[in-house]
Amino acid sequence: MTPIISLSHRSLLNRRGTVSLTVLAIALSVMMVLGVERLRHDAKASFANTISGTDLIVGARGGTIQLLLYAVFRIGNATNNVSWKSYRDIAARPGVAWTVPLSLGDSHKGFRVMGTTADYFRHYRYGRKQNLAFTAGAPFKNIFDTVLGADAARYLGYKLGDDIVVAHGLGQVGFLRHDDKPFKVTGILKKTGTPVDRTVHVSLAGIEAIHIDWRSGSRIPGMAVDAEALREGSLQPKAITAFLVGTTTRFGAFHLQRAINEYPREPLLATLPGVALQELWDLMGTAETALRAISVFVVVAGLLGMLTMLLSSLNERRREIAILRSVGARPIHVFGLFSLEAGLISLAGALVGLIFLYLGLIIARPIIDAQYGLLLSIGPPSLRDMVLLGLVVSAGILVGMVPAYRAYRHSLADGMIIRL
Amino acid sequence: MTSHAIRLTDVCFRWRKEIPPVIEIPRLSIRAGEKVLLRGPSGSGKTTLLNLLGGVTIPERGKIETLDTDWVALSAAQRDRFRADNVGFIFQMFNLIPYLSLVENVLLPCRFSVGRRNAAMRKSPDIAREASRLLTHMQLDVDTLHGRPVNELSTGQQQRVAAARALIGSPSIIIADEPTSALDADARYIFLDLLFREIEQAEATLVFVSHDAALSKLFDRTVELEELNNGVTK
Repeated sequence: MTPIISLSHRSLLNRRGTVSLTVLAIALSVMMVLGVERLRHDAKASFANTISGTDLIVGARGGTIQLLLYAVFRIGNATNNVSWKSYRDIAARPGVAWTVPLSLGDSHKGFRVMGTTADYFRHYRYGRKQNLAFTAGAPFKNIFDTVLGADAARYLGYKLGDDIVVAHGLGQVGFLRHDDKPFKVTGILKKTGTPVDRTVHVSLAGIEAIHIDWRSGSRIPGMAVDAEALREGSLQPKAITAFLVGTTTRFGAFHLQRAINEYPREPLLATLPGVALQELWDLMGTAETALRAISVFVVVAGLLGMLTMLLSSLNERRREIAILRSVGARPIHVFGLFSLEAGLISLAGALVGLIFLYLGLIIARPIIDAQYGLLLSIGPPSLRDMVLLGLVVSAGILVGMVPAYRAYRHSLADGMIIRL
Repeated sequence: MTSHAIRLTDVCFRWRKEIPPVIEIPRLSIRAGEKVLLRGPSGSGKTTLLNLLGGVTIPERGKIETLDTDWVALSAAQRDRFRADNVGFIFQMFNLIPYLSLVENVLLPCRFSVGRRNAAMRKSPDIAREASRLLTHMQLDVDTLHGRPVNELSTGQQQRVAAARALIGSPSIIIADEPTSALDADARYIFLDLLFREIEQAEATLVFVSHDAALSKLFDRTVELEELNNGVTK
């Protein structure tokens, strides 16, 4: 095959217009396939990293996935609350190492407000059992203190000591505002890549305080409680939305889960975070498969573009084939020349696609981070990426064998004397 | 060494079984070093005969010996190799590969035939210089033409490049298929003059196909294809 190696790239350079368009088409499809793979991988990793070190998530009885969504991902709402009494009862059981109550339902400029205790900052863990860390300030101490997630602080431009007003409900601009009781920013968390980044944390008492003179979602006329006065009184919540539990032993978690699910005084649901995450991820499996299927079809389209280009050039290259035959090229050389060209095109497509992927990652990273809180990794290509690239190039060579075979047949049938 | 460069004995060729043969030649022999004009109008089976002489197609019956080797007895791969080593071709037009340079086009046979590569190196210090030497003999100025795409050369120049390519590595037989039909009268005679001089120097055999009877006087011998071939042609 040596005689034709230098011929193939010269031939491609000679047709650089159509060839570069074909390379571009393959490159885009390769970028898409690799991008989808990376997005899928990173999304799954980030997803699984959202919560760790928590043994049980407990909420009102309902769906496991729903519980996971509102308690961990701050998506959607709980249909029912958990009474404070039940919470205290379960928290006091033997085998329970710690509990963190969560109270959801309010928002601040589109960011969810979550009432909790200072234990949250001690026990909530994500990724590889990492604790939450502060870039500035400290956990809340007073009723009207608030700790902001990294994104919430950054997008709203808040600094320590700023006052914020929480809106009732979840609208971007709630017209019912708890503006008589502003909160003061006392802490800003380090970025975690989890929904924590987009959460405004206040104390449970703070949540109670802003709702003390509200009933059924509106202010009770004539009843206005002075914010200063609230600091004195004790604000015991009657209910919370959910709570996280850490048990002393792994086995204790299963035992406790059963006990909570059979809790006689209130219908409750306890779930193991790992199980719930897997269930939720499986739910998204269809979308994942669809996305992969689409990207595979895009690659197929790219390769078909190459096939079209090579086949349509075949006729005008019959004379070239005849000349090569007349100077001693064997039909197998002609076959090799066309296969090699297809191989070079797909290889160039794969490499350019890889470059496009990294350019795309650099451009899309901050946008995806800002929009979805997903930080894409810009690492070297994984083994999986390399396998995919190899597959694309092999598929390209395989596709190239179609015109190569046609050229081979031409070279046998035409001989070297053709009159066009 | 045989005195015959090409010898056909009782050759019959047809495209399909049910149609009459297009080539039926009882006997044709061409001596080594001979310059033969194969003359015939279009449709007289010229192309088919050239494909048979070059071992590209194989007759249904008969022997086609080139330098004492019968094409029919060789395998397809052996024929390809034998052809690359021993036969140089010049076609009517568009002889050159557009994406290769002048010298690269001339060197093409050396890519595929070690024998011709070695023969070229016996004549010049390296094959590129042998290509330049042949091009210069064909009155082409390599230095001024080198950077230019080969399809920007005039038809006459292109044919002379093709002749240089057919001659490189000194193959024993040169087969030319109407190489002058696209040239005007002046260019035609210049081309033939240069080609003959080189072929004589290399002591090669020339089989030159043309419909142009006016060229006859330039050749050692003229074979009228219509008289030679008993096959049924159009």
